[in-house]
Amino acid sequence: MMKRFTSAVLSKRRALLACCAVGAVMMASPAMAAEFVLGSELPLTGKLARVGTGMSEGIAIAIDLANAKYAGQHHFSVQTIDDETNPAKAVAAVEKLASDHVVAITGGYGSNIIGPASEAAAKAGLVYMTSGGVAPELTQRGLDSFFRINNADGYGKAMVGLIETMGAKSVAILYSNKEATAAMATYVQKALTDKGIKITSHEFDDTTTDFKPIMNKVKLQDRPEVVAMIGYENDYIGILRAGAVLKPDVKAMVGVWSLATAQMNKEFHDQVQGVYGTSPLPYPVVFKGGEAQDFAAAYMNKYNREPDYLQQFGYVQTMLLIDAIARAHDNDGKIEAGEIARELRATTTPTMIGDVTFDKNGDNPNFTHRMGQHQGDRVELVWPANAATAKMNYPAVPW
Amino acid sequence: MKHRMVVLVALVLAYGAVPLLLGSMDYVMSLIIAALTIGGVALAWALLGNLGGLVSFGHAAFFGVGAYTSAILVVDHHWPVLLAMVAGGVGAAVASVATMPALRLRGPYFALAILAYGHIFRILAVEATSLTGGAAGMLSIPGFPTLLGINLASKTGAYALILTIVLLFAWLYGLIRRSTYGLALRAMHDSELATRVVGVPSTHLKAAMLVISAFMTGVVGAFNAHQINFLDPEYAFASSWTVLPIAAAIFGGYRTVWGPVLGALVVFLVDQLVFKELMPSGHQLVFGVLLGGMVILGPHGLLPLLGRWSKKEASHAGA
Amino acid sequence: MLELILQALYSGLLAGGYYAMIALGLALVFGTMRIINLAHGELVLLAAYVAFEMERSFGWTPLASIPVALVVVGLTALVIYLLIGRIRQDRELNSLILTFGIAIVLTNLILMIWSADIRSTSNSWFMDGVVLGDTLFSMRGEVIFCVIGVLLLAATYWWLNHTWQGRALRAVASNRDAAKLMGVNPARIEALSFLVSGVLATFAGVAVYTASVVFPAVGHNLTIKAFVITVLAGMGSVPGVLLGAVLIGVGETLTTTLAKPSLQELTGMVIFLLILFLRPSGLFGRKGMVKK
Repeated sequence: MMKRFTSAVLSKRRALLACCAVGAVMMASPAMAAEFVLGSELPLTGKLARVGTGMSEGIAIAIDLANAKYAGQHHFSVQTIDDETNPAKAVAAVEKLASDHVVAITGGYGSNIIGPASEAAAKAGLVYMTSGGVAPELTQRGLDSFFRINNADGYGKAMVGLIETMGAKSVAILYSNKEATAAMATYVQKALTDKGIKITSHEFDDTTTDFKPIMNKVKLQDRPEVVAMIGYENDYIGILRAGAVLKPDVKAMVGVWSLATAQMNKEFHDQVQGVYGTSPLPYPVVFKGGEAQDFAAAYMNKYNREPDYLQQFGYVQTMLLIDAIARAHDNDGKIEAGEIARELRATTTPTMIGDVTFDKNGDNPNFTHRMGQHQGDRVELVWPANAATAKMNYPAVPW
Repeated sequence: MKHRMVVLVALVLAYGAVPLLLGSMDYVMSLIIAALTIGGVALAWALLGNLGGLVSFGHAAFFGVGAYTSAILVVDHHWPVLLAMVAGGVGAAVASVATMPALRLRGPYFALAILAYGHIFRILAVEATSLTGGAAGMLSIPGFPTLLGINLASKTGAYALILTIVLLFAWLYGLIRRSTYGLALRAMHDSELATRVVGVPSTHLKAAMLVISAFMTGVVGAFNAHQINFLDPEYAFASSWTVLPIAAAIFGGYRTVWGPVLGALVVFLVDQLVFKELMPSGHQLVFGVLLGGMVILGPHGLLPLLGRWSKKEASHAGA
Repeated sequence: MLELILQALYSGLLAGGYYAMIALGLALVFGTMRIINLAHGELVLLAAYVAFEMERSFGWTPLASIPVALVVVGLTALVIYLLIGRIRQDRELNSLILTFGIAIVLTNLILMIWSADIRSTSNSWFMDGVVLGDTLFSMRGEVIFCVIGVLLLAATYWWLNHTWQGRALRAVASNRDAAKLMGVNPARIEALSFLVSGVLATFAGVAVYTASVVFPAVGHNLTIKAFVITVLAGMGSVPGVLLGAVLIGVGETLTTTLAKPSLQELTGMVIFLLILFLRPSGLFGRKGMVKK
């Protein structure tokens, strides 16, 4: 305890980034082994509480597995601060973590909160790693300490790719007028129009609970082959229930995030049958890769349910960060300013969500999402072909 | 004389001691800036409530309009930030004119009408995509400039800026309060009928208070936009910009000039620095209990409560 | 097009019955005590989560969990009432802060107990389609709860007008002191109005859980919707609540059908302001919102 206190006081006089690393390193024994405290700024309350909690569980698993992986060499822990879904509090949280000398930051949800929070991290010289913000603007700011493993393009490409594979000629897009969903809808609309597919679109508000009037327009006026839903769980359930009542003559219901998940399969089983959504892993996890299975087992063990994409992304982003920290430390026993960022950029790492590389803006150009489909008690990957675990059921709707 | 000394000491502490002692702790400064932002809105809200006798549930409307006006002027028309912030206040004042039909409504109905305006402005901000960027909002809004050698974009600079804004508003509030208008307004609060009989055009005065309150709120909203560097409709018009200031004002004592600001500082800082430290994810629960407890145990707010204590102390000392 | 409009009207009517149920409890307390209970939406939400818990733990259908929810929500409503009773000064304003604080406490308790995941019934019986004349579509749950809503409104109306307690309640609402002189105990009557408001919130909550989806942040939206309808109705008027709720419901669905779905909230707010300005005492108000 005493030692940690001293190191913190001493390091105050040094350059901020150096102190973060040194402060952490000095706590450890003089040998190569080191103790690293990661910082995490996440929404655990407020509007984004659900997704933030999901990511934080993934981070916890990454810490556990990293401690097993680096046992005897390094020890990792995480200090988490709830940003209450509020940008000002997110900035303060990052600054608090910086003053507590964390080695880097993993977390963040919502592009609009990640924006200011990652700028605060950059000012403090800390790497900010996330999977919670997909807005293109985030990686156009020229921050060299900002990294994310996923982006809007990856989600959009998967959705568009699947619809193309289906060979649909007309699509109705239903989207929520929130930041991420509106941006995604614009992307999908443009991409599908470019491919000569006929598009109609309906923007709805997040307070909408009855989707029948919208669905009725789709059924009677648009008459599309595919309905693309871009929203969140409550929207999907509302739309699918409206569909089940009105039974429009469509061939597929395709969504994005938060839909092709284990939890949706369990809790809304009948309502999601045949429905598609982005999904990094199938459910139950049947990957050959050892890491995905280890992760799923550790998660089941700790939380007693199946992990979803939120936990998977949270895990992957944190593991990448931890490996980079370990590499940065191990080559010379200390971490210099910008070294973690350099390590992250220098390496291509195979992960559960595919190979991850970072470009100069911190984006992962390799990121393409996979599309899953609810098939009975399972979520099967059906797109792209090389990741598929089952044949796509098409046409298929829940009703 | 004694009063002046207190003010002087407070000013020295606020401008000197706070940045010197806490300036190196970025996150504490961030929290103080956020608390003062809420305090500024609380002050404006209390002005309307105290002098205008109008309880508003929709100050987020003026906050958001001020923020968007300033951000758009800076981003699209390259106005200097500080000037645009004043324009943000003017924008909010203009928006308040649109809400004036609500002035003839009584108590809670006025409150709810303003709330509806807040929602309408938010929806318009979502729909006016070409102007506001729609739901995606505006990222990387330029921050504050360097003025007289002080970098206002730094934590200390931003702190000095919002502190100055709040102090100016409090000074203005005190001025109005002491003026004949203020007297008439407070009389109106007690008995509107009586005031009208003596010939004070109450609706005009109320309208004036609404405009001033909206202006102040708009400037603070603009400050926040350039401080956080981003805006989206949900954030700019968030109901928390209404409820936190109300809670702060009532907590601190909304009949006083300083109560709202003090309330904001206490409520926000105690919540973030103490409760959040003790229970990281359940601290809002404590915050809720604190609010409720305050209403039941000290309904006049913190400042009058402190006043009473200090009087008691003084009388004990005298005895 | 006609088919679309008919469906919109039908959906709007059904939504109206359900909105009315959410709003009536708030309107009742507002009518008797001049208190806006900012925690009303959270009471509704609490009932929804009780229904969820009963379904998850014991497999009960949402309708069967109503008695349990009645106890939980009724007790919570009484606690709120008792706390409001402790307010000594400036009750109209201070009760706002108090109930706002209670709303925060309830939201966070719900978050801690049941997490932020979305919840809704998995009982598919409520979701089966009910089709009228091949053109009007709805879920069975919506029809059931619209009917229950209208029945509850009728019962409340009858209770207010034809029972001693109801009349006492109206007496307290119109003149507290006079009612006291007539031998009515206002405190007891106000407690009663809170209890009845809790009962209404319970049914509303189970309806929300069945026909829609709940998560902790929903409470706030529910409170706002209830507000708007209460004001539209005019001071504590039961028929006004129904009409206001239907107006909002139909306004929303017609906006979706004829214009853009994302404008439906705007329509609700504009209707609200228009009525407030054109008929300042509400649809059914006798006196009220405008200053004398």
